[in-house]
Amino acid sequence: MHYEFDEILETIKMTEIEHFDIRTVTLGISLRDCYHPDLKQAKKNVYDKILKYGQNHVKYAREVERQYGISIANKRVSITPLSIPFDAFNWEQFVELAETLDKAAEEIGIDYLAGYSALVQKGFTNGERELIKSIPYTLSSTKRVCSSVNVGSTKAGINMDAVMMMANVIKDTAEKTKDNDSIGCAKLVVFCNVPEDNPFVAGAFHGVTEPEVVLNVGISGPGVVLDAIKEAGRVDMNTLSEVIKKTIFRITRAGELMGRNVAQKHGVPFGIVDISLAPTPAEGDSIGDILKAMGVEDVGAPGTTAALAMLNDSVKKAGLMASSSVGGMSGAFIPVSEDQAMIEAVEKGNLSLEKLEAMTSVCSVGLDMIAIPGDTPATTIAGVIADESAIGMINDKTTAVRIIPAYGKNVGDSVDYGGLLGKAPVMSVRNLCSANFVTRGGKIPAPMRSLTN
Amino acid sequence: MRFSEEELRKITLNAIEELGDKASPDLVKKVISRAVATQTTPSQTTASATEGRAILTSFGMNKPGIVAAITSEIGKCNCDIQDLTQKLMDDFFTMIMILDINSSNLDFMQIQENMSRLAEEMNIKIYLQHEDIFRAMHRV
Repeated sequence: MHYEFDEILETIKMTEIEHFDIRTVTLGISLRDCYHPDLKQAKKNVYDKILKYGQNHVKYAREVERQYGISIANKRVSITPLSIPFDAFNWEQFVELAETLDKAAEEIGIDYLAGYSALVQKGFTNGERELIKSIPYTLSSTKRVCSSVNVGSTKAGINMDAVMMMANVIKDTAEKTKDNDSIGCAKLVVFCNVPEDNPFVAGAFHGVTEPEVVLNVGISGPGVVLDAIKEAGRVDMNTLSEVIKKTIFRITRAGELMGRNVAQKHGVPFGIVDISLAPTPAEGDSIGDILKAMGVEDVGAPGTTAALAMLNDSVKKAGLMASSSVGGMSGAFIPVSEDQAMIEAVEKGNLSLEKLEAMTSVCSVGLDMIAIPGDTPATTIAGVIADESAIGMINDKTTAVRIIPAYGKNVGDSVDYGGLLGKAPVMSVRNLCSANFVTRGGKIPAPMRSLTN
Repeated sequence: MRFSEEELRKITLNAIEELGDKASPDLVKKVISRAVATQTTPSQTTASATEGRAILTSFGMNKPGIVAAITSEIGKCNCDIQDLTQKLMDDFFTMIMILDINSSNLDFMQIQENMSRLAEEMNIKIYLQHEDIFRAMHRV
């Protein structure tokens, strides 16, 4: 096959100059056969299984990185939502099990393992209640374990008891990890319509309909899209959409190729490519910068939501053309702390929580990595979660809340985690009370949309 | 030997077709083991990474002897140059080669290491990437 000079140079430019990398290869492992009534044996089952499948994960990913000259930023593992196989455990046993997960993750050389999760959109089992109760303890006593709880769906409605419970869990987690800027909350996601094959941590888990083991890949590449948009100059929207699509097509293809190769080395089936644009705090690797390059003065300016909607839609269209195995979140992420342009927009006062909420209705995933004052009442946090879940439920899309009530901090302060989690300026939350609404309990019934048959 | 899901499905379908209603545990065993034994081709579920062509890209400030140094290193690795394009932009030198690495007794990583050593000596940049990535990204 013949390759054009320019095509080859373009690929090199993408990887060397524009930060193009594959964001994550995530190995999903089912733990459904690991239950044992004896905690000690259960811990051994879990540890052995993760090591059995995961021990070469990092090595294989590195080999593929070198073969194609494209780096894979994160190598991670997701597991069956832990409350499912271990439904008979109490909260103390869950915490001990989490410590085993932490150890297994460390042993195989990965930074995060996700799936300390419960799916409670329609109600709780005993084990799910216990797992949710254990979350603050787990997130403060482990480093690598990430947790998520699904509280609503288009089919089931929103479980408001779970929403309130999660708001309290978030507050407790913030307090228990107050010495590290409430970092526990950065590892906890509350979802509506959670996808079961999402490779992106912290919200990843290995869904119950998935095979024994599967390899999913999450692409990235805001830097590449940004440069393509800048290069295109002042063109109309249709042309701009074409430019974005062409770029995403290439990124998706590269991601699928590399994911399939890692899967082949493992000898496990390949699952999906998650075609999400995921920013990092690195200069130029930002969704906010893309929106600005599209023409808004700053993130938060009128027009931001429309720009984001077009970006997100173009990403999906190109991804679908490039791969037949698209899944997960698939959209653009707008985490505040992980995106330099978003951080600046918040610091300048241009981007508010309300505008971010509007933006989440047209992109994946939700209010992500947002710091708010530590004294925000749990009922207000529950209100934020309920609003975000409602957007997800009514629009049949995934939404999530990963919010950090930074203990002891206020507007003007910031939390700084370094690395990929980045730095979040504390944003102001409306000082209005939602308590009488969120403490009613029960469920917001499933919407019209749920009756599609 | 490892089988992909696709291959397992094929073996199963063949066995069903062959045995039809006559299937008994012993017969199934016989047919399957024969199919496994004759399955000699390696798994082809992905665009095969073993096909063995790599693309070498090098850049740097132009100076005498760059092409000679790179080609002689490629010769030492016993790789075959199938295509070569070279351009000068002012003082800047760019060269792209398509290499067949099947004949080499070194594996991909070792060739890559040899090339990066040379790149350091010559003070240029050399990238060696498997051809599949370019095919995936630039061909519909």
